[in-house]
Amino acid sequence: MRKFKIFKIFILTLLAASVCSCNKYLDLKPQDGITQQDFWQTKEQVQSAVIGCYTGLLTASSSGHTIPDFMFMWGELRADMISASSSSTLGSSNDELNVISDNILSTNTVTDWAAFYRVINYCNTVIDYAPNVLKTDKTFTQAQLNGYLSEALTIRSLLYFYLVRSFGDVPLKLKSTTTDNDLVQLATTPQKTVLNQIVTDLNTAEGYAVASYGTNAYDKGRVTKYTVNALQADVYLWMDRYADCITACDKVINSGRFGLVAGDAGWFNTLYVNGNSSESIFELQFDTQLLNPFYNMFLTSTKRYLAEPNIIEDFYGLDSNDDNDKDIRGADAAVHTADLTIWKYVGLTANTTRTVDISYAHWIVYRYADILLMKAEACANSGRGQDALDLITTIRTRANALTSNGSTIQGTDQHPDPTDVNGLTDYIVAERAREFAFEGKRWYDVLRNAKRNNYARIDILINTIAKSVPPDMQQSAINKFMDHNSHYFPIFQHELTTDPNLVQNPFYK
Amino acid sequence: MKRIYSNIFYLLFLFQLFYAVTASAQTPEKILIKGKVIDQKDKLPVIGASVVEQDKDKRTVTGVATDIDGNFAIKVTNTANKLSISYIGYKTKVLDIGDRRVFNIVLEPAQGKILGEVQITGNKTVNNGTGMNIDERDRTTAAVTLNAKDVEELQAATIDQAIQGRLPGVDIVANSGDPGAGMSIRIRGTSTINGVTNPLIVVDGMPFETTIPTDFNFATADDQQYANLLSIAPSDIKDITILKDAAATAVWGTRAANGVLIINTKRGTQGAPSITYTFKGSFSKQPSAIPLLSGDQYSSLIPQEVMNVTGTPLNTFNIKEFEYDPNDSYYYYNYSRNTDWVKALTQTGYVNDNNLSISGGGEKARYFASVGYTDQKGTTLGTGLQRLNTRLNLDYLVSNKIRFTTYFAYTHSSTQANFPTSKNYGVLAEAYIKMPNMSIYEYDEYGNLTPNYFSPASNVQGLYKYYGASSNGVSIYNPVAMANAALNNTVDDRVTPHFNLTYHIVPSVLTATSDVQFDIDNSRNNQFLPQTATGRPITETTVNRAYDYDYDVFNVQSKTNLIYTPQLGEKSTFQGLLSLQTYDNKIVSQSIQTANTASTILQDPSADSRIQNSDLGIASGTTETRAVAALISGQYSYLDRYILNVGLRGDGNSRFGPQHRYGLFPSVSGRYRMSGEPFMKKFSNWMDDLSLRASYGQSGNAPSKDYLYYNYYTNYTSNYLGMSGVYPSNIQLNNLRWETVVGTNLGANLIMFKNRINIDVEVYRNRTHNLFSNNLAISSFNGFNNVSMNVGTMDNQGYEFSIFATPYKSSKWIVDFNFNIAHNENIIRSISPYYPNSSGNTTLNGSYLSLLQIGNPLGSFYGYKYQGVYKDAAATIARDKNGAPIYAPDGTPVQMRFNYPATNYIFQPGDAKYADVNHDGNIDYKDVVYLGNGNPKFTGGFGPTITFKSNLKLTAFFNYRLGGQIINGTKMITTNMYSFNNQSTAVLRRWQKPGDLTDIPRALYNYGYNWLGSDRYVEDGSFLRFRALTFRYNFNQSFVNRLGIKNLSAYVTAENLLTFTKYTGQDPEVGSSGTGIFSQVIDNSTTPPVKTYTLGLTATL
Repeated sequence: MRKFKIFKIFILTLLAASVCSCNKYLDLKPQDGITQQDFWQTKEQVQSAVIGCYTGLLTASSSGHTIPDFMFMWGELRADMISASSSSTLGSSNDELNVISDNILSTNTVTDWAAFYRVINYCNTVIDYAPNVLKTDKTFTQAQLNGYLSEALTIRSLLYFYLVRSFGDVPLKLKSTTTDNDLVQLATTPQKTVLNQIVTDLNTAEGYAVASYGTNAYDKGRVTKYTVNALQADVYLWMDRYADCITACDKVINSGRFGLVAGDAGWFNTLYVNGNSSESIFELQFDTQLLNPFYNMFLTSTKRYLAEPNIIEDFYGLDSNDDNDKDIRGADAAVHTADLTIWKYVGLTANTTRTVDISYAHWIVYRYADILLMKAEACANSGRGQDALDLITTIRTRANALTSNGSTIQGTDQHPDPTDVNGLTDYIVAERAREFAFEGKRWYDVLRNAKRNNYARIDILINTIAKSVPPDMQQSAINKFMDHNSHYFPIFQHELTTDPNLVQNPFYK
Repeated sequence: MKRIYSNIFYLLFLFQLFYAVTASAQTPEKILIKGKVIDQKDKLPVIGASVVEQDKDKRTVTGVATDIDGNFAIKVTNTANKLSISYIGYKTKVLDIGDRRVFNIVLEPAQGKILGEVQITGNKTVNNGTGMNIDERDRTTAAVTLNAKDVEELQAATIDQAIQGRLPGVDIVANSGDPGAGMSIRIRGTSTINGVTNPLIVVDGMPFETTIPTDFNFATADDQQYANLLSIAPSDIKDITILKDAAATAVWGTRAANGVLIINTKRGTQGAPSITYTFKGSFSKQPSAIPLLSGDQYSSLIPQEVMNVTGTPLNTFNIKEFEYDPNDSYYYYNYSRNTDWVKALTQTGYVNDNNLSISGGGEKARYFASVGYTDQKGTTLGTGLQRLNTRLNLDYLVSNKIRFTTYFAYTHSSTQANFPTSKNYGVLAEAYIKMPNMSIYEYDEYGNLTPNYFSPASNVQGLYKYYGASSNGVSIYNPVAMANAALNNTVDDRVTPHFNLTYHIVPSVLTATSDVQFDIDNSRNNQFLPQTATGRPITETTVNRAYDYDYDVFNVQSKTNLIYTPQLGEKSTFQGLLSLQTYDNKIVSQSIQTANTASTILQDPSADSRIQNSDLGIASGTTETRAVAALISGQYSYLDRYILNVGLRGDGNSRFGPQHRYGLFPSVSGRYRMSGEPFMKKFSNWMDDLSLRASYGQSGNAPSKDYLYYNYYTNYTSNYLGMSGVYPSNIQLNNLRWETVVGTNLGANLIMFKNRINIDVEVYRNRTHNLFSNNLAISSFNGFNNVSMNVGTMDNQGYEFSIFATPYKSSKWIVDFNFNIAHNENIIRSISPYYPNSSGNTTLNGSYLSLLQIGNPLGSFYGYKYQGVYKDAAATIARDKNGAPIYAPDGTPVQMRFNYPATNYIFQPGDAKYADVNHDGNIDYKDVVYLGNGNPKFTGGFGPTITFKSNLKLTAFFNYRLGGQIINGTKMITTNMYSFNNQSTAVLRRWQKPGDLTDIPRALYNYGYNWLGSDRYVEDGSFLRFRALTFRYNFNQSFVNRLGIKNLSAYVTAENLLTFTKYTGQDPEVGSSGTGIFSQVIDNSTTPPVKTYTLGLTATL
């Protein structure tokens, strides 16, 4: 029986050994990513997390669209510069066509805000975890931390600003989601509260942000103090806080770092093809590694959009005697008139396009012209009509905007009285359409001006609709737009089914 | 990994120990023994006979051979040992040594029979795979065993095809008819909604890995499929047992929650070599498909479809595909055909399967070796499979106490599939929608056919878009070119060495076994998408796109068992088991995807090509899973009537966080053999056995992904301003816990008339607690769209009945009959509030609503009631309850509308008419009604076997499903007239002008609501299928002997001969699509099951 005893001892040791080492044996770590417990140790890691927020802006989310793609769709589709004809040769989806014709249901994937909240979560993660790195990395300074925080805060504010302008009331989540304990079911926060949060965050970010990174590309591609100011101006203008808007604009104007690119032969190349011009304040930097979505959106046979067919006549005017006398922002800049291709992001010169491998035109979020026209709008609404007209003139002069001569030249000049706020508003809205054609701003410009003073100028919106919706749906679309709730998107079905606390925009109920 | 090695080390150590212990028991002095061996008959010396000293366990101590004169001399170590003298052709003699020193031995020649196979009689025992051997008649749990003989005639390339429909409660559905495609196996429904629904497969006592890496990128093998089961040749299989109730599966714990399939392969037996050759050859033909429009019919439909929307004729000036202008030779010749795309894409398939095996062995060593080769060609162009498999099972009996067994299997297979253009739309689906007026090959400008594929970059129907293998998108391409020129080949090499050592520590009381199994699976998938198939311009990445995916699986598992079977006297028996198991699975994968190689001939990504787009590039992954388990289990039987089995299993799994890593899963089951009671004696003349069984058991299920309890940061593949960024790529799951299946089962067995009738009844409920949901949708403001979570409780409940009977038996004729029927339903008992309560959108065409209803069986779907077509303008006026027209306040009649005010579509004459259930003149969600449930009420099979003089055998087998509604998705897409896709000939009777009375609405291009989810597409899915008919002939022994072989038999099998069903689609055998609570049974298949005819031959030498 000695054998048996030895065997028994052996089995017992085996048992004991396996119990002890089990936990270690079962503790496996992934090899293709760094765990959160191992991350957030050094300042380099903070930086890569912040850079991740920017890259997140440029990469496609689960819906397949990138944020610039959404910024374009949200800012342009419901407005009047996109062709409303649902030609079968276009690659646009039914969802997109339905937005163009203002026939939006809560199942429309264009209203899926997931891409925005995804990056908001990246920003929240930086804001939550970066300050702890001060403890583990002694070479990490408070100033560096503040710089990174300003970037995260500003990107988050920018995204929330897009959300409130598109959806009205939205859920406001300011804490990161790291574990399944962090999951929440939020109700929507009123638009006003979200805007106030944005204002607070931007004020913090303004104090933290750097004025320059020392490199031009960084200054244009990352958040600087002036990015914050530009966004502040936009937010204040949306909130009808004109004085604050003018202050924010002046900070950019007085910095002396920005100016308009001269409206000469190189204008298009400098501003759009090369990017990062002296006019640019913040633009999202695509490059050879990460191409932009615009090539497929505007150029290939699967292109999703064409410009509105009469865009030149409707917005830019014509000189019937001299083809070369034209608004530089129209033909061959915004649009290629021959086939209505949206040209701004795919054109290389006046008549050649980018090829797919160099399709990395940047997406311009703010540029100096925007500051000038925002200031003009704030001035017009705060009794400084002449200042507004001067600013418009600056923009028009650079662009060689056409002035009517009553016969051969059909111009775009308007002559409102400096005290005529309505006239000034119409002029600014039209000028902004010319200046920022297809830059994802048109719908927001129209809505901002229409809703001012309790929808005193709803006519701006209605006129836009009349142009953008196919004739057979026009009347119903106009009726819809009398309900102010219809100006905002419905909450996407996915969100409603997953969160009982969310209440659908009453228009779509 | 380290732990595994140390385990192996322990095992070796164990070994050493045995040797050391036995060696020390020997005495050093040696005694010389001499002698002579002669033949009994002719008294001549026997040369080369082996003379061996054996200890009491029959272990060889020393051995010598006799010389030319038959003399031998051997130094024995212990006179208590025995001397064994043996030679081939003679009976072995074993003699005590004692004091004798000279042995003159006379060997008797053996009679021929001695070398024959040993017939083993006795009760059939069932191995639940863990090591305990329980008599089948004492089994306390629900399980069925299927002998491979039962199914050997089928041409099945895989065992899962062979067992389809033959076992109650086991539902197997073919995923596709293509070679190498797997099947989905469900044992008593699905107990989980997280995707891993396959049962655990145990081969020769060790779990067999059937999962494939999650990043595996092909359309024909998602994780639902058993493609990997292919690697066991059906002819190598001895038997298959399916464990169904939780008490039976509990011993396998984690991964066994969906049932266990136990496969034992053949082993060698003592005797002369027996060589068996089997041949199976079959050919299969795809039955005719849904009749589709010809080119002429199609080109009159499309202009009408467009005109009904725009009000103006189709502009053939722009859309030249319908221009038919001889002056435009390109369009005229290439777009004026009547192409039958489906016919062009199908071929006659064949299977050619050869298997050669040899088995036999002597007293010490036994062997079974086989080599097989299968060559298969599918019925769709470009599909096929070649497989070479070998197996060597060796037993070596060191002594009565120690036995080694090794199983060594190697499989090499090569599968050709069609290029995965998207998940649900293969080339055949493309052939169905492809415009039939288009040519397969391009015509030149003079109208001569060229050998070039006609693949325009785009036409009115659309163009090729690369969606990726996992998407559902449809793109347009030339399917014949795609099937012939594109590539999707997989080469798989798998080697599975398995070592087993059995040590009878105390013979027939205590046994230890140790198993180690290595499983190395290397697979390489090559795909290529040529420009000739898509026609896209050379700058796009869909041109000459090459993909190479490589994965290696390294799997090490070990199992150490102690089995205790004490002798408790006459009245009771006991078997106890202690088992320790470890599992380590590591998967390393890498892939390369490039595009724009210089030529369609350069099909490998190693050729110069481009990777700059984000959809191209290289990727790799590593993932590892580990698990440990300890099991203690015992079965006690008293008076052969009262049988009790108790088990407890502890599991640890690396997929859980430290808080919830370990689980304990008990099980208890019992059997009461009523027929053994004294008061039942009076029935004993006809009743063999009547038993009642009851069981309760738990088993745990781990999630299907690794590392879920970490929040980790992943690098972006691209830089921003030259700096690299990271992002948190998942949610850390702190709260994920074991999904536990708690199963209860009640069963009864009745065996009567000397085994002539054998009845088995089971009632069960499997309740899954802490149901996993892999991608539970969460509100995206959390930063993520979904999360894995334990969400609720689900039941699978049902009953099964099976009968095996021999109604007639005489000396010449034997008639066997078997029948089985099963019912299963899936019910959600509770669910997290995060879980969405409905799926599907009834405001969109083609979508049905599924609702989550706690307490009701899953699988119900809802939609509109279809009432035909509005025949004219008067019919579109809304009517109230009494049928009177509704008038607006201004006196005008109200028109029927759809989804007012959001959609507000006004129905026109010729539109589909849906029942306005609430009579409000508006078709919307309030008019949605219950339409059906996709789950069958009953499933099962039956069939007779008739044997004549044991020479002729006729087997027929039917399987059936009763109840259950199917959404005929094929009908939907082939009659919707919503796009430029080709349609079925049913649309020829469409509404065309006011007054037409028909059931098919007017054609509307991309407009209207003519194909909303309605009962128009819902059909009863009941069917009865004549699954197989086999006629087998065993040749007469006398005839066979003249040919010099032992056995010869031949058979002919026809499969899928007939299907009786009311279903109008191609095939009513449809699995539910999509996993999860809202899966609906939608038939998107366009191909009926192929009819197959097989000729088989088995010869034993």
